[in-house]
Amino acid sequence: MNWRIVRLLLANELKMLVRDRRTVVVSIVLPVFIMPLMLLGTRFVQERRADSLRRVTYKYSIAGAEAKKARALVEKAREIASQLPEEGDGDRKSDLADFKFEEVRTDDPEGDLKAKKIHFYLEALSGEEADALAHEEARKQQAEEQEGERPDPLRPVRVAGVPLIRIHFQGDQDESNAGRGRVQRLLAGVRRVRSEEILRGRGFPAEPKQIVEVESRSLATPGQVSGSFVGRFLTFFLFMLMLSGGSVVAMDSIAGEKERGSLETLLTTAARRAEIVAAKQLSILAVALGITFIQVANILVYLTFKVIELPKDFVIEIPPAAVLTLLLLYTPVAVLVASVLLMVSAYAKTYKEAQFYFFPVNLVCLVFALASVLPGVSLRSAIAVVPLANVSVAVREVMVGKYDWPMIALTFLVMALTSFGIARASTRMLSKERLITASESDVADLEGGASLFSKHVLRWYALLWAVMFAVAANIPQLATFRRQLLFNEIVIFLGAPALMIWKYRLNWRDALALRGVNPMAWIGVLLSIPSGHLVGIGVFRLANIFVPVSERVLEQFSRSILPGDVPLWQLFFFLSVLPAVCEEIGFRGTLLYGLRRKFRPAALALVVGTVFGLFHVALFRIIPTGFLGVILTAIALLTGSIFPGMVVHAGNNAFGVWAGLQEFPLGRLDWWIYVAAGIVFALSFYIVYRNRTPYPGLRAPRR
Amino acid sequence: MSEPVEVRGLAKTFYDENRGEIQAVKAVDFECREGEIFGLLGANGAGKTTTLRMLATILAPTAGSATILGHDVTAEPAAVRRKLGFFSASTALYPRLTARETIEFFARINQYPSDQVLKRVGYLVERFGLASYADARIEKLSTGMKQKVSIARTVAHDPPLLIFDEPTVGLDVLNALEMQEVIKEFRNQGKTIVFSTHIMSEAEKLCDRIAIIHGGRILACDTLEKLRQATGARYLEDIFVHYVKSL
Repeated sequence: MNWRIVRLLLANELKMLVRDRRTVVVSIVLPVFIMPLMLLGTRFVQERRADSLRRVTYKYSIAGAEAKKARALVEKAREIASQLPEEGDGDRKSDLADFKFEEVRTDDPEGDLKAKKIHFYLEALSGEEADALAHEEARKQQAEEQEGERPDPLRPVRVAGVPLIRIHFQGDQDESNAGRGRVQRLLAGVRRVRSEEILRGRGFPAEPKQIVEVESRSLATPGQVSGSFVGRFLTFFLFMLMLSGGSVVAMDSIAGEKERGSLETLLTTAARRAEIVAAKQLSILAVALGITFIQVANILVYLTFKVIELPKDFVIEIPPAAVLTLLLLYTPVAVLVASVLLMVSAYAKTYKEAQFYFFPVNLVCLVFALASVLPGVSLRSAIAVVPLANVSVAVREVMVGKYDWPMIALTFLVMALTSFGIARASTRMLSKERLITASESDVADLEGGASLFSKHVLRWYALLWAVMFAVAANIPQLATFRRQLLFNEIVIFLGAPALMIWKYRLNWRDALALRGVNPMAWIGVLLSIPSGHLVGIGVFRLANIFVPVSERVLEQFSRSILPGDVPLWQLFFFLSVLPAVCEEIGFRGTLLYGLRRKFRPAALALVVGTVFGLFHVALFRIIPTGFLGVILTAIALLTGSIFPGMVVHAGNNAFGVWAGLQEFPLGRLDWWIYVAAGIVFALSFYIVYRNRTPYPGLRAPRR
Repeated sequence: MSEPVEVRGLAKTFYDENRGEIQAVKAVDFECREGEIFGLLGANGAGKTTTLRMLATILAPTAGSATILGHDVTAEPAAVRRKLGFFSASTALYPRLTARETIEFFARINQYPSDQVLKRVGYLVERFGLASYADARIEKLSTGMKQKVSIARTVAHDPPLLIFDEPTVGLDVLNALEMQEVIKEFRNQGKTIVFSTHIMSEAEKLCDRIAIIHGGRILACDTLEKLRQATGARYLEDIFVHYVKSL
């Protein structure tokens, strides 16, 4: 690495960035001024709103059988409001003290409320009316509890015969809402005063509010409490700033250069690819850190000048050890940000395409950065090996003064390795010829047909996944297992491939791999059914060690797919034959056909298998069904046909149904049985391999 | 003694996910002699640009070898790039740098002796008549001026070998003529020039030797006179058609 060249390239990158007025304005100047403007604007609006609500004379009316009593209570409330002590609890005191309200007599309070002639009205119900209403409420409550809602043990118990005052208001109107809130608090105050008077009048020995004093005391220092709060969001906040700052320069860095043609110019110079990548990463890093620093400094200025006001007990204590630890943890994060952004920029062909990719990438990264808000997650867990999520949790612990050094070291190591790996990957990305040649060889858009289908196929399946998910969640008519299954199989896995074949004018025999198979290969195919099923269960048990699934979930799933009231033939038809035919058409048919030139065979089997697994939405099914998907794809690739996969798929499902009906404990066998099944399974694949008739038009395996 | 450019069995296969394998260049052989303008003449898609990009180490060959001034393009790409200047219609400049900064940047990055960079920049600014625009940003310059800055940055580090990939594409007649004059001037300075074009008159006028490339193969490679003798045709256009139709 020639650092003189790197310095030269870096200086050049930064010079061009600083000269881009649009970038400087959008990424530095605007945030510096927008934040105080937003904060001051919000404060101004809030003050204006509070002032305006204080000046309103709220108009209300009173209706119902007990209107007289209600009116008396309101009068009492008015009296209490006028006597509110000076030393109250801030806003609450002042808004009630200034509360002006005026009764309007009307025969149609609801109509007047809707017509905005009044702000709210009180409906005073007699004890009997209130009881009838409470009875209806109780019935609804009971129904909800039966549906699984837990009853609230602190819910106030209603005493029969007590009158009720209902406040009717327009929740979407500010003044109506505010008036309702104030009158409700006043009436609650009247009720409390009245009940205390009654208790004392009947000889209650003490002030009722002194029955039990409840007090709490936190052992954490104010610094720890504030640190816990800040620590939860610090990584997310800094990461977001680094991403947004870095993406400004990253987009221009390679995607922009590619689009302008200056990347090719740069690649013909004596600078090595590694030096170019290093300079670009450093420029992204410098800008990301620079913008983060400016924004943090910006916030500190607002805090100093009280533009942002913190709670009185908010204390941030960051001792030197914490500063150094945070620096240690955030250094690889910054490198990671730069490398990820550079990779995205290198992957995109144009500036616009880069913008399109940055959004999902940022979103996924930010989800990891939010790991610290997960309740109960400690660094001493598997989270320590999840990049970025580990830093997020580690920072939260450091901010409350907890230094788990071995785990902090592990976190740093994981992050350093990840950052190094991604930095290396971004260097490799810049060596790819696609950077120079992609735009010239991409003629699919003009050719249409099968070429365009290859480009679009993953989008289609993403859309189908979303449709399947949305339909299951939103159409109650399809909520039963059988209806949902029929919809998925017929519409999603059979209908959509037919639509794709029609739209892209595909040859349906090729797209669905409707080809003959070497008869000898069938021996291996048939042998793989029971052995493959057992190996799949073994894989599930292994996965269960890392992602445990509760027995209850498994039982619920088993009950839902094997209901007792369905005839046997229907069970086998719905669970074995139908999925085998339709899903093979969907996955080993059009999906495999569309992706056949995008990936080499091994990667192709993994990708198609993974997509197949993802369509079996439940989290615990993704790994075993993904495994089955890989097997089925491998069989299709070796035999060049969809038919063996259909037989294996149907056989596998039928085997599972049979074992379920017989209550055969396939999931609790000795491990040696799974190992033996693995050997038989390998043998079956060997037979298929020896008698293979490969899928045509595949990308050559890597030599 | 080896020639400045020696190409043996050079081939390039691209993999396109929609069209499968595409053999852009199929085992080409040629060499360029010191101080000559060597022309690669071929229609669009013949493999000219891919061949030149392999020589410039932007693309890696699938098979075969090429040496530039004694350095192998695969084994010593950085050394190769230090000794050549690559110019093509698709290589662009940084719009927010000035003309002077651009020339200086490319001289320094190609490791021209740092104590002589400013003198070299001054010379090139004068040579290409850029003095009045030297401190204006590239984005503000006309196409003709940008073209001049592009040539200046190509030779900023005074390389002994220059590669021009269809340098006159998109230029008006006057600018194209000026480009041709500049290329001749570089030859007169003793530089070796590899030049690709699909314009027959340009090749006729400039090249000392011409290689006719079609479908990724070199069909003929010699001086214009010898090509005339071999085919019996007078004009390069007829010579070109003769070879292409003989396939």
